[in-house]
Amino acid sequence: MFLQVLFLLSATLTIGCGIAVAVTRNLMHSCVFLLGTLIGIAGLYATLGADFVAVTQIMVYVGGIVILMLFAVMLTGGKDFVSRAQNLLGLAPSMGNKWTFALSGLVGVVFILTNVKLLMSVASSLPTKEINNELPSTVNEIGHLLVKDHVLAFELSSVLLLGALVGAAIIARPRKQ
Amino acid sequence: MISLTSYLLISLFLFVLGLVVMIARKNIVAILLGIELILNAAALNFVAYSRYVTNNLDGHVFSLFIIVVAAAEAAVGLAIVIRFFQIKESTHIDEATQLRN
Repeated sequence: MFLQVLFLLSATLTIGCGIAVAVTRNLMHSCVFLLGTLIGIAGLYATLGADFVAVTQIMVYVGGIVILMLFAVMLTGGKDFVSRAQNLLGLAPSMGNKWTFALSGLVGVVFILTNVKLLMSVASSLPTKEINNELPSTVNEIGHLLVKDHVLAFELSSVLLLGALVGAAIIARPRKQ
Repeated sequence: MISLTSYLLISLFLFVLGLVVMIARKNIVAILLGIELILNAAALNFVAYSRYVTNNLDGHVFSLFIIVVAAAEAAVGLAIVIRFFQIKESTHIDEATQLRN
């Protein structure tokens, strides 16, 4: 019962804030709605029994990436982002206009239709295992997996993070005049 | 009520929303937001399959790696956006024409 309520709340939060991200005209509001989507996805992880992934999602995404996005929005020009946009037709404000939204809506509808058709055929043939309703903690086993089976990917991801952070610092460095 | 299909549908919807953001927006930061939505949809699929189909936790590890890669991508992408803004005084994607011709 508790799981179902949590699932419904998280799904509503995820989808609603996702739609708001897609249709809001203000970039700052978009970032804040992305926060809601990410928290909803963390709730969905919790209903799937993935406690470690849920906490990591909140720590890394909500505490890190969205804050970084907000900093980028604030550093790159206030209310400039809806103005002085010129493309070939001269009708594109930077947060999208009716033509781009119509095109992307068409793509989205086609994508949803094809994928639902695929899902319906796949979902019936999946071998589902028995679901146990108590959700044990996964931290112990994930720790073992990270240093046993996936140790190469673990080390490579540390190198990737170091490289990305150093690269970001170098790229964003102010120009020497 | 809660089944694998419901998670897959949520994930599909998130993916499509990310796709819509990436196609409709012309702002580079907004396009990065769309990429985050798409990466989250993929990670949600991994965890859902890990609970309902397989018997191990490899899907959780994969989605952890997705989160790591997303963090690295966001750091580099936003650094590029800030640099681009220093050069072009705009974050409109149509201004990025330096490599044209």
